[in-house]
Amino acid sequence: MSATTSNLEAPAPSRINREVLVKWAPLLVLGVLLLLFPALEWLEDFREGKDHIYLLDSRFFSIRNAARIAIAAAPALMVAIGVTFIILMGSIDLSMEGTVSVCAVLFAFMFLALGGTLASWAWIAIPGALVVGAVMGFLNGLVHVKLQIPSFMASLAMGFVGTGFALLLTGGDRIRIEDELFRSLLTVRWLNFPIMVYVALAMLLLAWFIQSRTTLGRNFYAVGGGEELAKASGLNVSRVRIMGFTLAGVFFAMGALLAVGRIGIAETATGNNFMFVSITAVVVGGTALWGGIGGVWNTLIGVLIVNVINNGMVVIGLPNWIQDATLGLLVITAVVLSTDRKSVSFVK
Amino acid sequence: MSFIKKFIEQETLSRRNFLLASAYGVSGAAAMRMFGPSPVMAATYSDPTVAWSYRNRTNPYWNEIVSGGEAFVESLGKDKSELVHLINEGSSEKSLADVKALLAKTNGELALAIDTNDAPNARPVVESCADAGAYVSTLWNKTDDLHPWDFGDNYVSHMSWSDEGPAEQTARILLDAIGGKGGVVHLGGIASNNPAIERLNGLKNALKDYPDVELLDAQPADWDTQKANQVMSGFITRYGDEISGVHCANDTIGYGVLEALRAEGMDIPIVTYDGNPQAVGLVAEGKILATVFTNPHWGGGITASLAYHAATGHFKPSEEPNEHREFNGPTIFVTPDDAKEFKANYLDSVPTYDWQDFWGPSNGPIVYK
Repeated sequence: MSATTSNLEAPAPSRINREVLVKWAPLLVLGVLLLLFPALEWLEDFREGKDHIYLLDSRFFSIRNAARIAIAAAPALMVAIGVTFIILMGSIDLSMEGTVSVCAVLFAFMFLALGGTLASWAWIAIPGALVVGAVMGFLNGLVHVKLQIPSFMASLAMGFVGTGFALLLTGGDRIRIEDELFRSLLTVRWLNFPIMVYVALAMLLLAWFIQSRTTLGRNFYAVGGGEELAKASGLNVSRVRIMGFTLAGVFFAMGALLAVGRIGIAETATGNNFMFVSITAVVVGGTALWGGIGGVWNTLIGVLIVNVINNGMVVIGLPNWIQDATLGLLVITAVVLSTDRKSVSFVK
Repeated sequence: MSFIKKFIEQETLSRRNFLLASAYGVSGAAAMRMFGPSPVMAATYSDPTVAWSYRNRTNPYWNEIVSGGEAFVESLGKDKSELVHLINEGSSEKSLADVKALLAKTNGELALAIDTNDAPNARPVVESCADAGAYVSTLWNKTDDLHPWDFGDNYVSHMSWSDEGPAEQTARILLDAIGGKGGVVHLGGIASNNPAIERLNGLKNALKDYPDVELLDAQPADWDTQKANQVMSGFITRYGDEISGVHCANDTIGYGVLEALRAEGMDIPIVTYDGNPQAVGLVAEGKILATVFTNPHWGGGITASLAYHAATGHFKPSEEPNEHREFNGPTIFVTPDDAKEFKANYLDSVPTYDWQDFWGPSNGPIVYK
């Protein structure tokens, strides 16, 4: 006990330095990556004796490639924002792969059944998919709160249920969404960027509004910062948790819509990989896993870091196991940086 | 309480019978071994359980395989739900454990069709089946030193596909389409998978005859549409207009590549593999240049059928020549010229196969290198 007390009396100045570093480190990493990949590209061209002006001639550092990275990042950003709310509360949601698959598949079924083009009643499938996501998130929250199951286990299990349900619905088939109007999410560009990027940006602003300007958003921080304290102050923590999972479900559904918009296919595998990408992005962005610190802007930076690495590695021609290894190392670095180990008495 | 007493008596009795029967069974079997004509005196069954053991149904390819198995079971006049599904989810341990459990449950009266998930797992699976008197046919995975003819009748057959030749031919179609010069990229399957290696080798073999074509890059896309989409975007950034053609390891990868090209407004030829219905549709529309159909529906059905008909004694595997016990599955090329006809023949209505024509559509014996 005495050890803990002495820790609390640790000198203040060093901690402030660390906090500044932690706050700006993700942005710094992103900046370094954005300059590093063009440099490696320049080096390669220099060796081959090609003319190459640093940054200006870079294939990586170009508007068209920025659009490619943004397209790859948009669905992952939605899913990562969803899980950010949960992580802010100090819980975790691992149901995204199942939820995304179910939303994508049900969206496709509704869309095709109602006419198959946005110009008809089929547009109802879009809010329909968001409702499906909300319901799945709500169930997830209920299982976690009412049955008192740790959130990672409850959500992981619900994710498996979702994947199984999506498989049951499709029977293993893939559903194509051919509607030109819906696919304009990818094919129509404003200022070099496809519409889906602007949709993702709008959702990001909405998420930021929820996080900073609503009671619910501030309650997420209250629960994550100190659940006992929040409870003692009269906050209905169970209710906040269930609402958080429901909100996450809506963002997962949004991710599903953009994923379908990107490749025009809804299938059980639509949700694949979202767990790794979104959790990595949230953590690398600097949102602390025990809650209360971080937010949606950190997640944006995190998602961009992950996607810049994925894209940049291919552009400079490195094999993909190096990509996974690099991301793994980044996660450890990010957690080391963002964990004040002096104030953590044990790790489980 | 008399019913409890009666129940206990019955149970004691049946246990005693069971012990006696099994004691007889063991010695009886030993006697058979001693005096029987040969070790390959396998018992046959009038109505064996039919089971398919595979990864899962999420993948369209395995979905086709299993639908073939179901079609076969229906051809026996049974409901398709009578096919037992053992789903290993990519785990060899689960694959073997499931088989052992089913062998115990069916007492060996089993006709099993299986992909053992990886090659080393084939031996323990085959050995447990042979020990239990069940009949097993394998698909895709087995080690080169494991052969059906070493197990008498119980290891009925093994079917696989050699992808190198067909992948080489699609590569030639692609390289001819780009006029024999320029750059191509390859998006592969999971790097360690045998089909992924063979399909890339096929491309490399073809490239030897096209000195003016450069293989710009080859990266794994893990058979995954979204991953392929991202890898292709990276390729476009790196090579841009240098890419004049794309060689994909399967259809699923091809869909992701097509969407990446579409996002950029690019239109360059691509070839794929597997002949999934959607890919065939895209071939007919001219968006994919060629794909290879391996008829997984037939493969899944005939593998179950071979095991079943051996188990019922309809034919005796040990009397068949080796090329009937280890053989390659069919490969059919689909190009824009014949895509419509192919679609009508194979996909719009799945043909009713004669499940007793075991080797008709197959493609010659397996050759080891």
